[in-house]
Amino acid sequence: MTRLHWSKTHMLAALVAAAGTIGGSFAYAEDISPDRLLNADKEAGNWLHHHKNYSATRFSSLKDINKDTVKNLKVAWTMHLGGVEGGGIWSHGGLEGTPIVENGFMYVTDGWGSVYKIDAHGGKGVLLWKMDPKTDHDWAGAVACCGVDNRGVALWGNLVVSHTLDGRLIATNKETGQVAWQRQVADPDKGEVITGAPLIVKDMAITGVAGAEYGIRGWIAATDLKSQKEVWRTHTIPAKDEPGHETWKDDKNAKASGGGSTWVTGSYDPATNTIVWGVGNPGPDWDNEYRPGDNLYTDSSLALDADTGKIKWHYQHTPNDPYDYDSVAENVLVDVPGPNNTTLKLALEADRNGFAYAIDRTSGKFIWGLPFVKKVTWTKGLDPESGKPVEYDPKQGVQKYNASVTPSRTNKVTDICPGNMGGKNWPPTAYNPDLKLWYIPVIESCNRITLEESDPAKLKPREFWTGGGPSQPFKITGSVTAIDVTTGKVAGKAETDFPNLGGILATPDLVFSGQPSGEVIAYDAKSLAKLWEFNTGGGVNAPPMTFSVDGKQYVAILVGLGGAWDKWFIDATPELKRMQPGSMLYVFAL
Amino acid sequence: MKRTRLNGAWLGLALAMAWSGAGQAQSAAASDPTDAGKAVFKRGNCVGCHKWHGNGGGGYGGDALSLRKTELSREQIIETVTCGRPGTGMPFFVRGSYDTTKCHGMSRQDAGDQMPPEANVFLRPNEIEAVADYVLAHIKGKGEPSYAECTAFFGDGSRVCNIYKEAGHAAAPSDNNDKAKP
Repeated sequence: MTRLHWSKTHMLAALVAAAGTIGGSFAYAEDISPDRLLNADKEAGNWLHHHKNYSATRFSSLKDINKDTVKNLKVAWTMHLGGVEGGGIWSHGGLEGTPIVENGFMYVTDGWGSVYKIDAHGGKGVLLWKMDPKTDHDWAGAVACCGVDNRGVALWGNLVVSHTLDGRLIATNKETGQVAWQRQVADPDKGEVITGAPLIVKDMAITGVAGAEYGIRGWIAATDLKSQKEVWRTHTIPAKDEPGHETWKDDKNAKASGGGSTWVTGSYDPATNTIVWGVGNPGPDWDNEYRPGDNLYTDSSLALDADTGKIKWHYQHTPNDPYDYDSVAENVLVDVPGPNNTTLKLALEADRNGFAYAIDRTSGKFIWGLPFVKKVTWTKGLDPESGKPVEYDPKQGVQKYNASVTPSRTNKVTDICPGNMGGKNWPPTAYNPDLKLWYIPVIESCNRITLEESDPAKLKPREFWTGGGPSQPFKITGSVTAIDVTTGKVAGKAETDFPNLGGILATPDLVFSGQPSGEVIAYDAKSLAKLWEFNTGGGVNAPPMTFSVDGKQYVAILVGLGGAWDKWFIDATPELKRMQPGSMLYVFAL
Repeated sequence: MKRTRLNGAWLGLALAMAWSGAGQAQSAAASDPTDAGKAVFKRGNCVGCHKWHGNGGGGYGGDALSLRKTELSREQIIETVTCGRPGTGMPFFVRGSYDTTKCHGMSRQDAGDQMPPEANVFLRPNEIEAVADYVLAHIKGKGEPSYAECTAFFGDGSRVCNIYKEAGHAAAPSDNNDKAKP
């Protein structure tokens, strides 16, 4: 088998080289095995998973670019990508993806899900192929709440595995760029779309879904990449005979359209064969009187058995959420020393609600939580034992929290902090295991919510089901905030003029991040002092990553402001109105 | 001499056909006289908030008013597109509104923080008339969106109209292919 594969690969490489597309470089490809995915961090120059590794730390041990050399970091090469065109309710697409790199070949996506394979050898980028999935723009774009987005690919075998906004899982031959097969996983007719990258576990692709603003009932699904069939699909809102259904106490069957989307790629703990995945807001977003009860498993971190999809534990952050504070964020799986020579096995999550949480990932028990934003008004804080907001009353169906700012049918226009974008949104955190510091890309925000009573007669497929909407009378800024995971305290905060809409990369002594005003920035990992900055001229809306090829380290980032911000939230950052749509890959080197 | 004048007249007519929205509407008269207005509805990104069916609705961007339930007259629609709606997200679409021409009796200074946003594209007066006529003919006063309306807007190259197919089946007699199916 190996022999055959080698010869096939060599033949292909020779063919492609003869066609003149690889140029002077030569590289072999090898299949991505489950073993390589388990040990992704051993391949220091590669970036094989969306979040770098199964623990989702987005930490790379590469250190040629470090606090002494970073001042010499320059653009090595760039590449214009496509997918900037609009569709549905969107006037243009944007870039939110994390590039994947294997053995010097890079795989990136644009907002409409086209996949680009780029040869990064020899200090330049050469496009080898582009797979355009011909996404149905109007079908998907009309029900994408928050932009024309695609966050990237995964690798398995000799396939590049990706999603499209119109609900497909696509497997593309890594060498040829030809679609090997595809499968419809989500249904835009129900308001379901897909924006996240797949997570590969064993021989399965795990898919999350978006659409909690359109009355979906969320799920996480596993597709067997060998048989191309569904292995399991776990709904994030229990059916009427499942545990948790009693947390939907209304008489209108609110749970059938109760949201609970799962549009950010999760993490995986091989030691316990557990997938940890974040669950989004309940719907309608703001009218919590429509859906009395805790509304499980919305706003929760969910642990699933990887083979069966069975729920092992959950931890809910904002029961009966009236703020659109979803918990869709990635859970970062880290081990830190605990009391009495124990090891704490944690799942870290930075929530839209402004609090960072450490949960025992073996049991789902709360360990610590703290606000990571400068201003929180919706609660006085978390109960130190349970981690629930102190005002939470399990006897009440409808939670009021700090009633004076909580949107309700009797308090229809209110200002909340953080605003409904968070806190922290999808842009990923990063964790430095040497320093035990966890870096959060923060939206320092407040905004105004206007509640509309939800009328079941108005619940229609493919129409908004939000029970109100936000407006932006307040300026919104941002920060990179570091938390010391051994103490559960804020260790530093680098404030920024604009919200962090891109996410974070950590290396041994640096932290990289970007701004929607165009800057890519390197900070000192300990002090968060700014050490380097480059203005890309486009809005940074995607996470940086790093890789090496030919023994040289590079930092790559996609640039092109899209997403929810420039349509729905731009009034909070009027200066960003000048940012032009774009679609560009930047790669930096010393 | 006579011949030259004739040529000039033909040229003038051809130019008028080429650049005026009215010319396009005339040439498409066989299908629908408001197709030019539909094109403006798309190009102006009215769809971005009011949706293709005009019902607007709540959501992340606030609540765009329903054009199906609107009681605005042709003149009022033209004024709203020209000037936007102060204090809301409805943008103004005419160059110079609130600057060279007052809107709702206000200059930019008078409007202050109620100043509506500037649209991404500016429209000519004849385009605004065309889009108003399109709204009057195809959106204002209509009930629930139907499959026929949806395919008239998008054509049949997208699955965007799927959801109206089953519910609106009986109400979509123009879709003969589907009617023939069991």
